[in-house]
Amino acid sequence: MKKRLALGMGGLAAFAMVASGCAGGSTSTESSAAAASAPAASAAASAPAEAPVCGGSIAVMAPLTGGAASIGQEQLNFAKLAVDDFNAANSSTYALVESDTQLDAGQASTQSTSIVSDSAIIGVVGPAGSQEVSAVGPAFSEAGLGFVSASATNPDLTNGDNPTFFRVVPTDAVQGPTDAEFIAGTIGAKKVVVIEEKTDYGTGIAKSVADALTAAGVANEVIAVPEDKKSYDDVVSKVGDDVDVVFVTFQVAAKSEQVAQSLVKSGKKAVVFGSDGSFSGDFKTGGSYVSAFAPDIKGIPAAADVAQRFSDAYGEFGTFGPPVYVATQSILQAAQRACAAGASDRAGVLAELKNTNIAGSILGGDIAFDAMGDVNGAKFYIFKLDESGAPQLVQ
Amino acid sequence: MEYFGEQLVNGVVMGGVYALIALGYTLIYGVLQFLNLAHGELYMMGAFFGFFTMTALGGPSASAVPVAVMIGIMFIVAMGGGALLGVAVERFAYRPLRNSSRLAPLISALGVSLFLQNAALLLFGARVRLYDTGQFIDLRSGISIGRIRIDPTEMMVVIGALLLMAGLWLMVNRTRLGRAMRAVAVDQDAAVMNGIDVDRTVVWTFAIASGLAGAAGVMSGLLLYPVDQYMGVFAGLKGFSAAVLGGIGSIPGAMLGGFLLGITEALVTGYLNPTYADFIAFLILILVLLIRPRGILGRPAIAKV
Amino acid sequence: MSTTPEDSRGIGTDEWVAQHGERAQRGTGLYARIGEAWMGLPSLVRWGIPLLLVVLVPFAGSNDYILRIGINLGLFLLLALGLNLVVGYSGLLDLGFIAFYGFGAYAYAALASEQFGLHLPSLLAIVIVVVTTAAFGFTLGLPSRRLTGDYLAIATLFFGQMFVVLMVSSDAVQFPWMDEPMDLTGGANGISNVDQLSVLGFTFDSNLSYYLLLIVLVVLATVATKRIHFSRHGLAWRSLGEDSLAAQHMTIPTVRLKLLAFTLGAGIAGLAGAIFASVQQGVYPSTFELPLLITIYAAIILGGLGSIPGVLLGAAIMTILPELLRFPEYSNWLFLVVLILGTIMYLKSWKLVPAVFAGMIAIGFIANVIFLAIGVPYLTTAEWAKGPLAPVLGSWIFMPEERVLIGNIAFVALVVAVAWMSLLTRRTTIILLPFVLWLAIFTWEVRLMLEPSITRQLLVGALLVVLMATRPQGIFGKPRVEVL
Repeated sequence: MKKRLALGMGGLAAFAMVASGCAGGSTSTESSAAAASAPAASAAASAPAEAPVCGGSIAVMAPLTGGAASIGQEQLNFAKLAVDDFNAANSSTYALVESDTQLDAGQASTQSTSIVSDSAIIGVVGPAGSQEVSAVGPAFSEAGLGFVSASATNPDLTNGDNPTFFRVVPTDAVQGPTDAEFIAGTIGAKKVVVIEEKTDYGTGIAKSVADALTAAGVANEVIAVPEDKKSYDDVVSKVGDDVDVVFVTFQVAAKSEQVAQSLVKSGKKAVVFGSDGSFSGDFKTGGSYVSAFAPDIKGIPAAADVAQRFSDAYGEFGTFGPPVYVATQSILQAAQRACAAGASDRAGVLAELKNTNIAGSILGGDIAFDAMGDVNGAKFYIFKLDESGAPQLVQ
Repeated sequence: MEYFGEQLVNGVVMGGVYALIALGYTLIYGVLQFLNLAHGELYMMGAFFGFFTMTALGGPSASAVPVAVMIGIMFIVAMGGGALLGVAVERFAYRPLRNSSRLAPLISALGVSLFLQNAALLLFGARVRLYDTGQFIDLRSGISIGRIRIDPTEMMVVIGALLLMAGLWLMVNRTRLGRAMRAVAVDQDAAVMNGIDVDRTVVWTFAIASGLAGAAGVMSGLLLYPVDQYMGVFAGLKGFSAAVLGGIGSIPGAMLGGFLLGITEALVTGYLNPTYADFIAFLILILVLLIRPRGILGRPAIAKV
Repeated sequence: MSTTPEDSRGIGTDEWVAQHGERAQRGTGLYARIGEAWMGLPSLVRWGIPLLLVVLVPFAGSNDYILRIGINLGLFLLLALGLNLVVGYSGLLDLGFIAFYGFGAYAYAALASEQFGLHLPSLLAIVIVVVTTAAFGFTLGLPSRRLTGDYLAIATLFFGQMFVVLMVSSDAVQFPWMDEPMDLTGGANGISNVDQLSVLGFTFDSNLSYYLLLIVLVVLATVATKRIHFSRHGLAWRSLGEDSLAAQHMTIPTVRLKLLAFTLGAGIAGLAGAIFASVQQGVYPSTFELPLLITIYAAIILGGLGSIPGVLLGAAIMTILPELLRFPEYSNWLFLVVLILGTIMYLKSWKLVPAVFAGMIAIGFIANVIFLAIGVPYLTTAEWAKGPLAPVLGSWIFMPEERVLIGNIAFVALVVAVAWMSLLTRRTTIILLPFVLWLAIFTWEVRLMLEPSITRQLLVGALLVVLMATRPQGIFGKPRVEVL
């Protein structure tokens, strides 16, 4: 009898624990919504009551753990912010589903089947890398699921193989020539070293910059470095005294800073010119240049509020986060329009995604996609870092 | 020639960091004959401890204490924190497996690595942190011989590494603890019979090895700037290669291996192609192993029957 | 021992005593009884039941994701069975094994894609891939004649690393006889649009077709390894694994056997790689890095080295568990079940269990009161909890507004508490247990639920450590016998 009582109590306690787990767990996907600030609640209350409540899940494919976690976590947080903002403004119930790919095409490919199998998911933000996009492309196009990447810049991705793919950032084919033209023209460099990081991101940009430099008649040498290289002093030693610009293609801005500091301490005259991956507070050596697909979002009135709220909630951010906000917005707006039209399934969202038009996005301009899924009116901006490391727009 | 000198300096400096990591591997391997594959993660944690100590003291540009004191405190915190973590890892992951097959601790170590990486991700956030050494040490000062420059951090890393190695060598060869370690290395059962507390010796071994990893973490932070959760994976691999190259289990071997590896990498980068630096370093390693299977300074194996 | 002949029994020896040794080997309790009943079944049934279940999966409310996990598991099983030949039997620590898998995948991609404009028939491509990978394995096995133990492990690990480096950097290889650098591997972008398998007019173009193909291949591989296990070669390999020096003395040709193990293992990995490339319709270098090697080793060691059911089970755990943990609702369950079972197994007393859990519940309420008294800002129950029990639980778990900061403190406190507890006596541990249990649940709800992806990795790491500590020889492995 005693034993049975004891068993019963133990069982009860266990049940209570399990139930608590469920109670907490069921909210987990929306917990970011709960964490949204008070204005969200008030906005929701004041929204018109007669509008239909729209909702659905949006998957975020990003390297949330693993070597590129710094990029992935920032992207995830921007997606969270975009969903919270949108839900607050439209009293909708969109939710995010995390999908960690570790920047590995194999995992991305497996996760794409998971996303396709979850019928609640109406759109996908990501994946982050170009090779991941080619790996998930077949599954998503077969399922008619729209996916919007905020950082895959390989021009080949929009050659027609991936009909449901969109991206809110311009490709390497835009960035390379813009940067090369600036280096050849405005800076007037005679000799350039291009440091090519062996990633799908770095390889693409390095190639397009080097080709454009050659076309512009600037002598250039490409030095390829592995992604896991830690010390850049030895690479900097290779840079001759007559080199004017060192163009770097790192995904992590801290490495660009490493190269810049190494150049400073070795007393070479070359300045660092970073591709958009370097556009972050971590890269701050005065006199360096960096290009970005948007004017500094901290300086854009439309984005100031978003940037401020992001910093308050999640800390500093770099270059790969803000476009995710826009990518998420494009899906949310498409879903909202599809819902209003009564077709809030994948096909409806995909059809509306093609009509995306975000006026005055936080990236500065209007965002709309062309027939291949690339962003319209793609343009790159170039900044010079002043002595305090703050970027000043120069082109 | 000057270019060669420049690359040589680059190699020696990185070699110092590799050598410190290699010492940890070698020490633990020497005493327990197993590879502590979680060693790189202790190095990563050390780098973070150093970084947060610096932040607590006011940050790189506005330190509340003199720079030398700040660096000293950073080293003490990182080494102490690393040592404590190392002891905890030993207690949890390795002690239950001391008499099991050789493979079990490998998997346990991988579990520990995964746990520590992600604990760091959870606690410290995913953002890459920068030491920004340039803000408190004038990198343009230091010695320069022609074009070859050696800045203060580089000097500090090399001298610090050499001092720590000398200290370690003395400790192993001249103290009671060192004698106990050597005894445990030869035969654990015999050591017990001679009144040596094996557990205690092993704990100390882990504490020292992990403290060295912590110091290496701070050094690489000061030298290279960025610190992230996954820096331990490749640093671990490099340190481990260095230990093997020199002859695992041998302290001078770890030093030699570290410097050789650093110099090889720098020279391959300098004269050939950086992408092949790892490739050629590994190739050399395999060749060395084929010629001298126990590494350069390793003692030949005696098969115990 | 029960075979003692009648006449040799001495005085005082009866059957019960004579069978003592055998009885002592047998376990007691529910597990042992189930295990015995299971082992009592004919081997065909024992292998047939799981196989039947697996074959039925696609026809029982399954989806592409489950099939894809099944495919990954199948590939993994092939790899694990191949690796088991090398490591489990022959005792050769080959840490470059992933390179064979990658080599197979890349070789297939090169033979069946636009990379070189070759689109060989699948069967031919696969035969070429398997043969070349096996040859590659033979070459890599050559150093094993000279290197032993950890040193072989290190050398092969470097081979594995070199493979990835080579694949990433071979997108512009300058051959002396060519004018332009040649793109061999697609570099960091890999090779995409790889042809799908097509055999005798049937194209494998769905997850279902690959799933079924892999079942067939895994069954074949299992049967083959099973036969090898009891063959002359199998015995020789196992003796090699136990003690290579002794094996040599028994006139076993160790070098030949080692090379054979390497070659066969590599061939299997090459086959798996080719299928992988075709499933994914592409190969990318990031797949063949350390994490995959780690997972495969974890699988074979977790299951028990050298044991075929162990390998199968270990691979299943290492494939399915991380995927389950991707979903917060499952990881939630798993966490609580492990916590409760772990506590019950540790206490081994039905009296203590309710006491500890009651203490845990009490501590929750006390903590609530303390947090409120200090004046920590908090989220109301409605803001974070759902479900019928929400009001009760909302007042049991305190949900601070600063989830990240307080959660981080709780996480560190939890790790320190667990570490400290391991140094204490059982009595003190039991007194502390309710607090630690509460802290674990608190940390889980406050912090870990916020970061499902990081939590997943944390749990996998912790589980590996705990599993190895509780069962160092693996699930189906035999404990190591210390030979003096």
